[in-house]
Amino acid sequence: MKLYEYEAKQIFEKFGLAVPKKIGIIESISDLEGLSLNFPIMIKAMVLIGGRGKAGGIKKADNIEEARDICNKMFDLVIHGFVIRRLLLEEAVSVSHEIYLSIITDPATFDLVVVASASGGIDIEEVAKNQPEEIWKRTLSNNPKTLSEEVSQEAADFLVGRNPELASVKESLSTVIISLFSAFQQSEAKICEINPLIVTNDNQLIAADAKFVLDDNSLYRQAPLLKSIGIDPKSKRHDVSEQTKYEAQAYIVGFPFLDLLANPVNFQKEEDKLYVGLVPGGAGYGIFSIDEVVNIGNRYFDGNVVPINFMDSGGGPSLSKVADMFHLLMDHPATDLVITSRFGGISSCDIFIQGLIMALRDRYISKRRMIPVFGRMVGTDLAAARAFLDKAKKESPEPLKDLHIIVGNQKIMADVIKDGIEYGFKIKKQKGIGVIK
Amino acid sequence: MTIEKLPAEQGLLYYFIKQVRPELAEKITETKTIETMIVGLGRQGTRHAQLMMEYGTNVTCGVAKGKGGTLVHERIPVYESAQDAMEKHPNIAVASIWRHYSTAKDATIEVIRAGIPIVVLISEFIPLKDVRDILVEARKHKTILFGGNTPGIIFPPEGIKVGMLPDIFQAELVGDIIGPKGVTILSRSGAILYHLSDALASAGIAQNGVLGVGGDGAIGSRFVDLVSRIMFYENTDLVVIAGEIGGMQEELLAQDMLAHPEKYPKPLVALISGANAPEGKTMGHAGAVISPGQKFGTYESKREVLEQAGVTVVNHQHDLIEAVKTKLDRSYFDVERYYNKMQKKWDEKPPEKIWGTLITNVMPNNLIIRGYPLQDIIANKGLLETSYLLQVGEFPDESTLVELEKIAVDAARQPFVNHNAVPTSLDISKMLGTCLLLDTRLSNYVNLTSDVAEVAAFSLGRMLRYLAILLGNIDMIENAGEEDISFSKMIYFGLVGEEQPDPLKVKLLESMLTACVDHGITPPSAQATLVLASTRASFEVAMSAGLQAITDVHGGAGQRAAGFFLSIAKKAREENIKLDEATFELIRDTIKAGKRVEGLGHRIHTQDPRRDVLWQLAEEAGYAKECVAISKIVSDVFYRIRGMNLPINVDGVIAAIVADMKLDPKLAKAIFVFGRTAGLAAHYYEEISTQPQMRRLAFDKAVYKGSSIREIK
Repeated sequence: MKLYEYEAKQIFEKFGLAVPKKIGIIESISDLEGLSLNFPIMIKAMVLIGGRGKAGGIKKADNIEEARDICNKMFDLVIHGFVIRRLLLEEAVSVSHEIYLSIITDPATFDLVVVASASGGIDIEEVAKNQPEEIWKRTLSNNPKTLSEEVSQEAADFLVGRNPELASVKESLSTVIISLFSAFQQSEAKICEINPLIVTNDNQLIAADAKFVLDDNSLYRQAPLLKSIGIDPKSKRHDVSEQTKYEAQAYIVGFPFLDLLANPVNFQKEEDKLYVGLVPGGAGYGIFSIDEVVNIGNRYFDGNVVPINFMDSGGGPSLSKVADMFHLLMDHPATDLVITSRFGGISSCDIFIQGLIMALRDRYISKRRMIPVFGRMVGTDLAAARAFLDKAKKESPEPLKDLHIIVGNQKIMADVIKDGIEYGFKIKKQKGIGVIK
Repeated sequence: MTIEKLPAEQGLLYYFIKQVRPELAEKITETKTIETMIVGLGRQGTRHAQLMMEYGTNVTCGVAKGKGGTLVHERIPVYESAQDAMEKHPNIAVASIWRHYSTAKDATIEVIRAGIPIVVLISEFIPLKDVRDILVEARKHKTILFGGNTPGIIFPPEGIKVGMLPDIFQAELVGDIIGPKGVTILSRSGAILYHLSDALASAGIAQNGVLGVGGDGAIGSRFVDLVSRIMFYENTDLVVIAGEIGGMQEELLAQDMLAHPEKYPKPLVALISGANAPEGKTMGHAGAVISPGQKFGTYESKREVLEQAGVTVVNHQHDLIEAVKTKLDRSYFDVERYYNKMQKKWDEKPPEKIWGTLITNVMPNNLIIRGYPLQDIIANKGLLETSYLLQVGEFPDESTLVELEKIAVDAARQPFVNHNAVPTSLDISKMLGTCLLLDTRLSNYVNLTSDVAEVAAFSLGRMLRYLAILLGNIDMIENAGEEDISFSKMIYFGLVGEEQPDPLKVKLLESMLTACVDHGITPPSAQATLVLASTRASFEVAMSAGLQAITDVHGGAGQRAAGFFLSIAKKAREENIKLDEATFELIRDTIKAGKRVEGLGHRIHTQDPRRDVLWQLAEEAGYAKECVAISKIVSDVFYRIRGMNLPINVDGVIAAIVADMKLDPKLAKAIFVFGRTAGLAAHYYEEISTQPQMRRLAFDKAVYKGSSIREIK
């Protein structure tokens, strides 16, 4: 979970790291009036994505007119698809030097890495690429609770070596690195970054920016920390993009769902295309099934097949959750066909089929939109699932007449998808909605 | 015909073990089996332990905090810690961990430290900091760690699976012999792993190992740690990896292949998912996040470097099949035959939900307790020995028996302060049930004692005291001064109240008690106790409920039967007619009056297995007189009147002997209730130590899974 800068700075302060004096957070231009502003001030757009500075999300204002102007413009800004809802206002600090510090996870070994550079304040990836000698890195293979004096001194030595003017703050640098490391470990972060760490004219070290990503898996035991920075510990923040209506719905029910269409609510369907909703089972196959639909569409259907979603229905969902997965896709205006696969490992074919049939019966009775379902089930509890399906088809043939589930693996899933798409086009043609080329 | 599995020491799992623990591998060549352990016995762990065993995995034991000393699936011992388990089972080579993410770290580290070489970490959502701690430990111990968030690992030729993978994987078949050859598959995602194997099987490509490396962002053994190793396993012809966007595992592997081509002597095909994933959106797996501008983690970055390293990269099931077929140019089994095998799985009937008991096998005309026919037990063993057998599964050795005698005798001697609150006028069952509930000494003893055989012995002693109070023989118990008095003699004092008893009478009485100890889970008394046990009611409450289910309808017919036999004998004497004549007349009159003839008929047995041995013992002791003679003909006489076969039952036989011993007919029921105490105690403890609480108790779905038939030595 990514934290907003002002949240991250609250954590920094708890660990003894100095940050610029906060003036306030505003949600509209009128909020500006109540604040006592001591210019110059920094105005920063609160978004959970990098590259804010370049996109115009960080500005300095020297007087109230400038501040109003900047805030007005910033509220209209959209940075990489994120709408700006809040601005952080803080007092500007004098800058003598800018340093880069971070604690990150090595993507290869998953060990902790301490990174420092005397060339802070700019895009650190550029520095890493063009001047690798400007970056100091230390991998810690034993996951220590605290950072040793030895390592922090070494980092400080490096920084002073690159910029001798830092010699007078060497000890403070060492302390800041240790504090940052403690903040990282105690908050169970994935990334903790200060860029820049400002050395002021009077040799103060101030974290002017803060990037903090918490580990979603440890949030349950970080409740006191989250509460102390004003976050409800029980609700995971959707921090990767602006949520669509359906993503928000799925979030409430409790399964991962992503719209692949840019604007699903007011989506304009192209007539000759088939839009396929996916209930794939498992996050990995959730990703792969999107590829399969696209590949099959390209090979056999002139590229006219569009997968509309990612879903992770794995991990043994409950009956009602399975039903909600199908409801969501059948309520989705784009869906022409639902393709589903249940390869029961930890999750049960039996619960899956019961949930699916429950959804179809409910929809039939309450006259909601029915969408053909194509799929396959194999694995855990298959025998019980099959018995349920056979019985249900006898008991309620009408709601289940467009349910096509292959029991067993006589056909690989790619072929089931192909059959489903073929059927989807046929139905679409019959109903005169679309035309196959 | 049955198809032999590949011997464990020829398979890929063994190959892994040998690389990291050569001494353990040596052991496996002797034991011919790879022992595995299951850590965490919640709903999933317990269920999949069963599925693993059904597949063929040797699940040696389990580890679950707070469940140490119990059994899972009726026979797998459970320990408090991995260390405890390893002390008893030092050859465990694989552990699977099914703990909740909040406790997965400690469990995993414990297992790694115990020295187990292969660890399969099923748990998902483990905090990253905990994963790092696990990795530090795993590196230190050279552990091969699959996961977290893995569906497990499966080795089709050896028939071993550790994890939750469905049974769809196919080994090489050479004629009817299972072969070791095939491709080895590694995948980050579970469902992709299944779809991948499925696709290859459809083309006749066998899998000798299917390994989930884990779907989380940070995992134990990575592609780069495993692929080269696997390529040096002689029976692997090709390796398939299933990667996906996020992380840099695939890039690392490719870089290693470029730097050290000699480590990769066999073909590799990579299926990479996420070609059409939108940038900047998270896709479930912690690993599958792409942020703009990264030089690794995208579909393109992976594809590019893998192809540079000479790997065929695919993104579609049919392309995978084509790539593997082209590289191998062979198949490993007949696809039709594979589908026929799978078809059987699709067409299976839903399994019945059976459960197991190890105590008593109840079959028509046979009662087998812990493997011993009850008639043999009655003839050769006493009540305390039989009680011990019921609880523990074996007969006690001599010193244990001495100890049990002391406990039972001592229990009979300790005062029961509340006995005045229990009216002796009550029905025997109700009276005993009430005593059990009021007896604070018993509940204290149960709370303080963990040995179930001792609890059963103590309960028998207390039951004797209640009965002695009821029957007015309590003074005999109080005054039994002998220091080392036997429990058998104590029983005789308490039930009969006769001084200087004939030793043969003492033995005969005890034999009748032993005959009543148990009848499996079929009678209502055992079922009542089980219902209470499943709610985790206390021992004495569950026992009380069970005993109170013994009524005139169930087990309590003896008292009336004894009276009936006595009246037949009296009639024959007074009217000077033959016994069968007197029997005929009285049965006829009874039936005319619309009454039941007691002591006849059984729900299960047509010839009660306890009948002949009791008659014979009565004969030998010299107490087979008129009533026993009547008991031998009563069934035939009944047939002459009603044309129905109703065999004499154990209540009837005991009633006849009690009558011939000139004992109070009330004793017939007392014997039944008293003896049954031992069996009910066994059922109580079996339920609480092997079954989940509040389970749905389907008595007709119980299956005897205990010892097979054996002889008393």
